[in-house]
Amino acid sequence: MAQVNPKIIESISVREFFESYADKLQLELVAGQDGLKRFIREKSINRPSLALTGYFKHFANRRMQLFGAGEMAYLRDLNESAQYKVLREIVAKHIPCLIVSRNFAPTKAMYSIAEETNTAMFRTPMKSKDFVAEGTVLLEDKFAPRSTIYGTLLDVKGIGTLLRGKSGVGKSECALALVERGHSLVADDVTYIKKVGEREIVGTSAEINRGYMECRGIGIISVADLFGIRCVRVEKRIDLVVTFVEWQPGMEEERTGLDQSTFDMLGIQIPHIQIPVRPGRDMARLVEVGALVQALRLTGHDSAVEFNERLIATMAGDK
Amino acid sequence: MDAMNQANEDSELTKVLKVQNKMGIHARPAAMIVRISNKYNDVEVWVEKDDDQINGKSIMGLMMLAAGQGSELKFTATGSKANELLKELEELFARKFEEA
Repeated sequence: MAQVNPKIIESISVREFFESYADKLQLELVAGQDGLKRFIREKSINRPSLALTGYFKHFANRRMQLFGAGEMAYLRDLNESAQYKVLREIVAKHIPCLIVSRNFAPTKAMYSIAEETNTAMFRTPMKSKDFVAEGTVLLEDKFAPRSTIYGTLLDVKGIGTLLRGKSGVGKSECALALVERGHSLVADDVTYIKKVGEREIVGTSAEINRGYMECRGIGIISVADLFGIRCVRVEKRIDLVVTFVEWQPGMEEERTGLDQSTFDMLGIQIPHIQIPVRPGRDMARLVEVGALVQALRLTGHDSAVEFNERLIATMAGDK
Repeated sequence: MDAMNQANEDSELTKVLKVQNKMGIHARPAAMIVRISNKYNDVEVWVEKDDDQINGKSIMGLMMLAAGQGSELKFTATGSKANELLKELEELFARKFEEA
């Protein structure tokens, strides 16, 4: 039931970036098509102004190079041979690609260097600051560490809730009951997770089984067809992990909720509750309440702590 | 068999325990008490404080008593292992629920 080893992404190809985000970033490939096979090796975007002046110490050559108003103006002020010289030097550092913002027209030197060295050059109508902001977020996503976890992910009233437990313990039945109550399914049984930034884990399903789940005794069912499209969600941040454990006499159960245990996902600690499964317990209802308690905690209210503080204050007053 | 200590099914044992920790029986100590009392399936436990009587397996009941430092709780246990249960509780109270 352990997590599959996380996959760390070291680089992505320029082609993958272009094909994924051409629409979002309004990218148009204007030269150097063969350069699409190059790799972006750092999840950031560089403005190569210092490099254009010929200063290459700490040049961020692993990043995409963005030419904005400043870079383009500087370049145009250089004579053609100076342009060739400095551009050749930049490209020789094995940069992934060139991007020109605000739909500026690349100079003749830029076109010929891009073609000659097989370096992809893109143009976008976006402003540099918007391109950097948007592009960084998209890169962050592409470079996010990923893993697979065995569990069913649901959106329970805005709280991303991952149900875990041994096979046959009733995860899918519980998920079904939650869907029936109007919550939505993100992934059944196998959840792909990725770390976004340093704070969040986002879960999704494989594309092939999105909106489907397996229900023992009935078979594969389409949640979207049976319960409506609102019951399917593509991805969701994971806020809570619920593990179903088989109840045994004498086992330790959480009784107060004062101690919040956590579950490690790609190095991020997610709040975790363990619910013992016993015949006759309405698991879906318990998960629903667990998610609501978590929602309350996120708004700064901890029922267990507040109750206990009241009790302690009462006892102190009695003395 | 030692007839004095071997409680049979019907025997009812009582023990008065004094709350010694500073904060009294708040959620954590209450959880520790029910963890013990729920281990003994065949033993029934009742707890009395002043005029209230509650089931010793209920955490909400125990907290409702609001038993602060110095208060006394009367535990009444019935069942085959009542003696052991009370002994465990006595030790727990003596340890001040691992608090100050």
